[in-house]
Amino acid sequence: MLLLTVFGALLVLPPLVYVFNQPIFHFGIPQIVFYLFVVWLLLIGGTALLAHAVPRDEPAESGDGDR
Amino acid sequence: MLSADFVIATAVGYVGLLFVLAYFGDRRARTHKKSFLHSPAVYTLSISVYCTSWTFYGAVGNAARSGLEFLTIYLGPTLVFVGWWFLLRRLVRISHLQRITSVADLLSSRFGKSNRLAVLVTCIAVVGIAPYIALQLKAVTSSIQAVAGSSEFGQGSLAGIDDVGLAFGIAAGMALFTILFGTRHVDAKEQHHGVVAAIAFEAVVKLAALVAVGIFVVYVGGGFENIFSQAAEIGITMDAENTFDARWLTTLGLSVAAIVCLPRQFQVTVVENSDENHLRVASWAFPAYMLLMSLFILPIAVFGLTRMPAGSNPDMFALTLPMAFGQDALALFAFIGGFSSATSMIILESIALSIMVSNHIIMPLVLRYSSGGSGDGQGMSRMLLIARRFSIVLILSLGFFYFFFTRDSDALAPIGLISFTAIAQFFPAVIAALFWRDASLKAATAAIAAGFVFWVWCSFLPSFESVSPRIALLMSQGPWGISWLRPEAMFGLEGLDPLAHAAFWSLSINVLTLTVVSLLTTQSALERIQASVFVDVFKRGQVARGNFVRGSATANDLFFVAERVLGERRAAALFEAEARESGVDPDMLEPSPGFIGRLERELAGSIGAASAHVMLSKVVSGSEVSLEEMMQMADETQQVIEYSQQLEKTSAELRSTAQQLEDANVQLRELDSQKDEFLSQVSHEVRTPMTSIRSFSEILLDDQDIDPGQRQHFVSTIHQESLRLTKLLDEILDLSALERGERAWDNVPIDAEAALDRALTVCEALLRQRGMKVQLGERAQRTMVEGDADRLCQVFINLISNAVKYNDSDTPLLHISSTVRAGSYVVDIADNGPGIGKRERKLIFEKFWRGPGGVADQGGAGLGLAISRQIIARMNGSLDLVQGPLPGACFRVRLTVLR
Repeated sequence: MLLLTVFGALLVLPPLVYVFNQPIFHFGIPQIVFYLFVVWLLLIGGTALLAHAVPRDEPAESGDGDR
Repeated sequence: MLSADFVIATAVGYVGLLFVLAYFGDRRARTHKKSFLHSPAVYTLSISVYCTSWTFYGAVGNAARSGLEFLTIYLGPTLVFVGWWFLLRRLVRISHLQRITSVADLLSSRFGKSNRLAVLVTCIAVVGIAPYIALQLKAVTSSIQAVAGSSEFGQGSLAGIDDVGLAFGIAAGMALFTILFGTRHVDAKEQHHGVVAAIAFEAVVKLAALVAVGIFVVYVGGGFENIFSQAAEIGITMDAENTFDARWLTTLGLSVAAIVCLPRQFQVTVVENSDENHLRVASWAFPAYMLLMSLFILPIAVFGLTRMPAGSNPDMFALTLPMAFGQDALALFAFIGGFSSATSMIILESIALSIMVSNHIIMPLVLRYSSGGSGDGQGMSRMLLIARRFSIVLILSLGFFYFFFTRDSDALAPIGLISFTAIAQFFPAVIAALFWRDASLKAATAAIAAGFVFWVWCSFLPSFESVSPRIALLMSQGPWGISWLRPEAMFGLEGLDPLAHAAFWSLSINVLTLTVVSLLTTQSALERIQASVFVDVFKRGQVARGNFVRGSATANDLFFVAERVLGERRAAALFEAEARESGVDPDMLEPSPGFIGRLERELAGSIGAASAHVMLSKVVSGSEVSLEEMMQMADETQQVIEYSQQLEKTSAELRSTAQQLEDANVQLRELDSQKDEFLSQVSHEVRTPMTSIRSFSEILLDDQDIDPGQRQHFVSTIHQESLRLTKLLDEILDLSALERGERAWDNVPIDAEAALDRALTVCEALLRQRGMKVQLGERAQRTMVEGDADRLCQVFINLISNAVKYNDSDTPLLHISSTVRAGSYVVDIADNGPGIGKRERKLIFEKFWRGPGGVADQGGAGLGLAISRQIIARMNGSLDLVQGPLPGACFRVRLTVLR
C-alpha cells in the first residue's frame, strides 16, 4: 500500500509527468489528459484490491461511554 | 425561460427537502442502529462534501483558464485515500479512543490538552475558512445572476438588488438553515446523522447534475474528439507546456493537507465515522467519485470556450451552456447541483467551525467566569447550543465580509486556494502529532502561529489588492519601502507564482519552527503521556487511560457536572450504568478513577478535551489538582518499564558472554589436563630407561669384580636404554616441532609410490623376522604428490611396523594397496591382527597411546601415529582408520595428486 501511494505520487509529479506530456492525441484527447486519468483509475483499482486484501481491524473500542 | 424568482423558489424548496431528509435521517439513525445511514456508501458520499461549488463551477473556470491544474485538487486527496492505512486509519482510531471532536481538539489533546493551542487553531481556522465561504457565496450569487442576466424579464423581483444584497440574503439564509440543521441538540460524539444523510443526498445530486451537463455537452459537441478538435481549429489548445511547474506541486500538496485538515473534512471523515472499516470502501470509492466529477470538466470548459461569446465568465459554463442551448430543465438541474455543492459545504463547514469555536473559545470562558454552582441542569447544554448558533452567524458574516471586500476579483479557484494554504498550516503539526513523539506543545503553537503570520502576509493580504490602494502600494513597494518584505516577493524571492510563494514560505517556516522548537524544548508530563497515546495507538492494546488517580470527588459532585453538560437524562443513564456495573446502589456509587476518566471523555465529546479536563479538575480532588503529580508517576512508570527492558537486554548479553567464557574455560581446562597428562607420560617414559641405566651403572660402579661377560651385558643394556631415551626425546621434539609448525618444511613434488616401495624394502627384514606374509593389492603407477619423500617413507614404515608389532595372529598377513581415486592418491595398509576396538578408535592418534591395555615393550613411545598424522597433515593429506579388507586394522593415507 505504501508502494502504491508512493508510486501514485511519483507518477503525477514532475519529472515523470513530463514523459507523457507530449503533444500527441489519442481519440482527439491530448495524451497527458489520457495519462492522468488512467493513472487515477489504476490507483482506484489498486486501492480497491488492497482494501480487500489487508487484514480487518477489530473495531476500535470506541471510548467506554456507549455500552 | 428561467427567471431568478423561479430558481430562488426552487432553491428554497430544495433546502426544505434537505431539511425533511435530515429530520427523518436523524430519527432513523436513532431508532435503527444498523440502518443504511451507517453504511460505507453514505460515509463515502458525505466525504464528497469536499467537492463544493469550487468543483462544480470553479473547476470548469480553472480548466478554461489554466488547463489541467484543476486536477491536482482531486489527485492530492486521492493519494491520501490511497494511503488511508497510514494516516486516516490512525486518525480515526485515535479520535474514537479520545473522543476527538475537531482538528483543534485533536491538536490540543495531543499537545497536553492545551486550550491555548485549541484557541489558536480555532481562530486560524475561522479566519482561514472565510475566503472559502465567500467563494460559495460568490458562486451561488453568480449563478443566480447568470440566470437573471440571461433574459430581460429574468430579473424578476431581483431588479434593483445588487450582488452584495443578494450575497447577504444568501448568507443570512444559509445561517438560518445551518442553525436549524446542525444545532438542534448536543450529541456526545458530535455525530450528526441527519446532516450526514442530507449531505450524502446532496453529493448524489451534484454528481448527477454535473454528469448530466457533461453528457449533454458531449452529445451536443459530437463526442469528446470533436470537442477537442473543434477547439483546436479556432486556436484553443491546452497549454500543457507550463502546467507541471511549482504551482502544480503546490496545489497538489495543499490539497493533500486540505483533505485532512479542513474542519468539515475532519468532521465527516473522522468524527462522523461510525466504523473504521468504512474507510476501506471510502479509500477507493471517494477517489472514484472525484474521478467521475472531473471527467466532464475539461470537455465542458473546452466546449464553453469554443461556443460561448468571448468575455463570458468561464466559472459559470456548467450553467450557461445549457441555457445557451435553450435547455431550461437541464440548466435548472445544473443550478440545483451547484447550489447543492455550495450548501453542503457551508452547512458542514460552519457546523464544524461552530463546534470548534464553542468548545474551545466560548466554553472555557464560561467555565472560567461562572461560579461553580450556578445554573440549572439544562444550563450547560443550552449554553452550548447558543454558543454554536452564535458561532455560525459569526462564521458566515466573516465569509460575507470577505466576499464584500473582494467581490471584484474574478475567478473562484484562487479564492479557495487561499483557504487551503491557511488550513495547510495545521498539517505539519497533525503529522507530527501522529508520528513524532518528541513534538512539543510550544513547537506546535509556534509553528502554526508562524505559518499563519506568513499566510496573512503573503496570501491573505494580497487578495485585497484590488480593493485597497494602500495594500496595492504595499504589494509593489513593501512596508515602509522595504522591498524584501513585499508580500509576493519575500526575502527577494521573486518570479515565483504568488500561491507557490506563499505556500513555500509559510510551510517552510512552519516545519522549520516545529522541528527546531521541538528539539529545543521539553514536554510536560501530560504532553508526554498524550504523545505516547497518540503515537503508539496501534501498539499494545490499551494505553494509559484514566488521568485522575485521586478520586476524592463524590458521585454527587460528578453527577452535577455531568448533568450540566450532558443533560439530566444522559448523565443519569451514565451513572446508572456505572452503578450496575460495580453492583452497588446508584446512591452509594463510589467514583473509580476509571469512571472519572470515562466521564472526562464523555464530556470531551461535547465540550472538547481541554474544557472537559478543566471542568473535572475543578471537582475531582477539590482545589489542588494532583494531575501533575499523577503524570509524574505515570512518567516514572514509563521510565521504569523502559529501564527494565534495557536491563533485560543487557542481562541477555551478559548471559551469552558468560556462556562463552565458560566454554573457553572448559577448553582451557581440557588443554591443561592434556598438558599434565603429557608431562606425566613423558616423565614415565623417561623414567623407565633412566631407572635401568641408573641401576646398571650403580652395579658397575660398586662391584668391581664382575666378570667381563656380565659387564659387557650391563654396558650394552645401558647403551640400548640411552639409545631408546634419545629416540624418545627426539620423537617428542619432533612432534612438538611439527605441532607448532616450527620445523622448516618444504613440500616438493615427489613420487609417492617410490616412497611406499622404499618403506617396504626397509621393513622387509622386520616382516621376515615375524614371518609375516605381504599381500600386495592393486598398485598405482608412479604418482606425483607434494610432500617430503623421507617423511612420507617414515609414515609408511611406522604404519607397517605397527601392523607387524600388534599382530598376534598365527598366520600374520599384511595387505597393502595403493590407488588413485578422484584426484587423490590413497594407500591402504591393513592387517589381520586383533584390530582396534571402538573405544580406542578415537584415541589411537593421541600421544603415548600404545595398543590395547598398553602392551609393554613394543619398543616405541606411542608417538608414532601422532607424528605420522602430523606429517601427513603437513602434506595437506589425511591419515585415518578405515574399514579394511582384513579383519584387523586398516590405515588409509590420502594425499592430493599433483597434475
